[in-house]
Amino acid sequence: MLEHSRGWILACSIGVCAILGSLAAAQTAPMCVGDADGDGEVTVDEIVVSVNNALQGCGLLPVTLQFQAMVGDEAFACGNSYDGIGTAGDRIFPADLRMYLSNVRLLTTMGTEVPLHLEQDRIWQFQDVVLLDFEDKKPPCGQGTVPVNTTVRGTVPPGDYSGIRFNVGVPFGLNHQNAATASSPLNLTAMFWNWQGGYKFLRFDEALDLVRVHLGSTGCEYGQPGRITSCARPNRSEVYLTNFDPSADTIVFDLATLLADSDIQANDPDTPPGCMSDPDDDDCDILLRNLGVNFSNGLPDPSRQTAFRIEKHAE
Amino acid sequence: MRASFHRPRSTTASSPGGIGTARGSRWHVPWSLAALLVLPLPALATSTTFTFNVPLGFPTPKVPSDNPMSVEKVELGRLLFYDVRLSGNLMQSCASCHQQELGFTDGLERSVGSTGEVHPRNAMSLTNVAYAPTLTWASPILRDLENQAMVPMFGTEPVELGLEGREDELFARLQADGRYRRMFAEAYPEDDERITLANIVRAIGSFQRTLLSGNAPYDRFILGLDDDALSESAIRGGNLYFGERFECFHCHGGFNLSSSVTFEGQVFEEILFENNGLYNIDGMGGYPVPNRGLFDHTHVIEDMGRFKPPTLRNIEVTAPYMHDGTITTLEAAIDHYAAAGRTIPEGEPNAGDGSQNPFKNKLFIRGFTMTPQEKLDIIEFLKGLTDREFLANPRFSNPFDIACPGDCDYSSDITVDEIVISVNVAVGAASLAACVSLDENSDGEVDVAEIIGMVTRALGGCSGEVAALPAH
Repeated sequence: MLEHSRGWILACSIGVCAILGSLAAAQTAPMCVGDADGDGEVTVDEIVVSVNNALQGCGLLPVTLQFQAMVGDEAFACGNSYDGIGTAGDRIFPADLRMYLSNVRLLTTMGTEVPLHLEQDRIWQFQDVVLLDFEDKKPPCGQGTVPVNTTVRGTVPPGDYSGIRFNVGVPFGLNHQNAATASSPLNLTAMFWNWQGGYKFLRFDEALDLVRVHLGSTGCEYGQPGRITSCARPNRSEVYLTNFDPSADTIVFDLATLLADSDIQANDPDTPPGCMSDPDDDDCDILLRNLGVNFSNGLPDPSRQTAFRIEKHAE
Repeated sequence: MRASFHRPRSTTASSPGGIGTARGSRWHVPWSLAALLVLPLPALATSTTFTFNVPLGFPTPKVPSDNPMSVEKVELGRLLFYDVRLSGNLMQSCASCHQQELGFTDGLERSVGSTGEVHPRNAMSLTNVAYAPTLTWASPILRDLENQAMVPMFGTEPVELGLEGREDELFARLQADGRYRRMFAEAYPEDDERITLANIVRAIGSFQRTLLSGNAPYDRFILGLDDDALSESAIRGGNLYFGERFECFHCHGGFNLSSSVTFEGQVFEEILFENNGLYNIDGMGGYPVPNRGLFDHTHVIEDMGRFKPPTLRNIEVTAPYMHDGTITTLEAAIDHYAAAGRTIPEGEPNAGDGSQNPFKNKLFIRGFTMTPQEKLDIIEFLKGLTDREFLANPRFSNPFDIACPGDCDYSSDITVDEIVISVNVAVGAASLAACVSLDENSDGEVDVAEIIGMVTRALGGCSGEVAALPAH
């Protein structure tokens, strides 16, 4: 296994490997050798895993990525207020904070993207999507849910990982499905965005309605065969963070940073407070930029993303 | 076919003359039957086929493949449509903004949601909504009723029914109601979990698809059923409507007198949104926020002010008009088109000359002159599109207002056939959808007291004296 001074090595002891291997064998042997996720087919990803296993002699490793919502130096909590927000230093009372992440990839020290295969609990995680839920329904977060989720759980091949990439957004293939029959976590009505034909990718609400941020695809078009076939502005953010130890560090989503460049009291005329991803709402420009979206075209732009950062943990 | 009711063979004091007994004779409920009624009801294994009451000359509505019609779903959807439990604060139902007697609109300039928030738009008529390829004033992507229902239920800009994040509360409310438990089970017998969001919106969509209106005087006239259905004035108005001076029919044509339709067997679907020159606030075609029409979705400038031309069926009762309800009468609407657009004078809100809107449909909205008589004539014609039967059809009415429990066919009397239905419903051989009004206490069962009450009404008449229920 290659070793790099900057990387953090995810490896497994022989005992863990043996257990993982036998679990995988027990699940897949009767069906299809090499079908690690038991979906009845062997995909390129699974072949990559096999090759990795051949080279590195070990099975997939469980990974739990830790996330935390902060407002500057303070932890996010429903019921708290936070001062000094935005360019005018306003006070906000957060009333919701949830977001869908997808397409999570760990980056090796060589820069190779390795997909994180999400555990399929169908509660917080489904297919390639996970819901991060920082609100706990305590007032004023009344439209929320009591349980919270601040982790992303999955497996990767052993390797030397030092970075991460992910999207804030629901992948196109799931975004325009029938929300009424969707699996959890895509069945939460507070995240529905039916009038735009999809989901809110990220939802931040404020109790006094000073500012809101609802990220989602806009300008979607309906085509044959009877479904949405494209969206003018996908608005799926891409986040790229380096110097990241997946086994120890925390990824912080900081509302204060998201709002840092906005005067939240000054609203673009004839638009809702904050940003509802409306291409005509100039308030969106900075907010989408800070989330990792280019406001002018709705495409991902990780280079100017500021809302997410890595918090190192003392070892 | 499902099993039908069989008369009890051997009971004490079976009814003299049996079920076909003459009015006035005493009905004795067989107590062996009463014993049956406390047994758990077996869920029906199959749904009852629904047959559309398609108006003459209309095509068959298109039904989504994952939501086939059934009598059970339609009746369940009707209850849900009229049920205030579908709003967060129990203040409103779908019917609050879609009232039958107003062509399923609300008579307001702009609708008001359950929390008092004013909607930017005028309530859309549900007349013949089964044929509508797009459902709202300006969304090109809201195409099926099931999906659309979730906008008023869960939307927050604006809040309408206010159920956002409260789906579990909604399910619990419905689960607590015995009638819903039974009706969901009978509408979705194959599902393990019945009271779900998908099944709620499927039922509402099924009910909405039954709202077919094609029995206006206009229809009876053009079908040759009644040459006197339209007055001479209305006939003259019709000629103007379908003529090249008024040009109405280009955007309000076809069997539904609407812009575009979808129906079973149709291959190509046409979607139409048009700018009719209502505003021009900046001299460059601008419409006031947040009502800029299709532009609000596409952000393509040519889509500025383009809204869906609605069906003109029942237009007489759906005032005020236009997407924002700012034209109050049919007369004013005709004046608007005669002037090729609306001019709002300087000093008033949203001032501007709409007739000069560059995005207007200039081909058809180019103005016309008319005599006072012609104006009367065209309005007379529009009033001939009012389908009184549709506006008063008890099958579309509020099922929580029960005029005569057990009068399953709304004929204002209770017949032997309906008594047979009631017993079949009671023993689980027919679904409650066959006669929702039977279950007066909405516990999901038709019990002896409810049957006795019904028989009493059968003998005494719905509108007449209703005798007190005999003690037992």
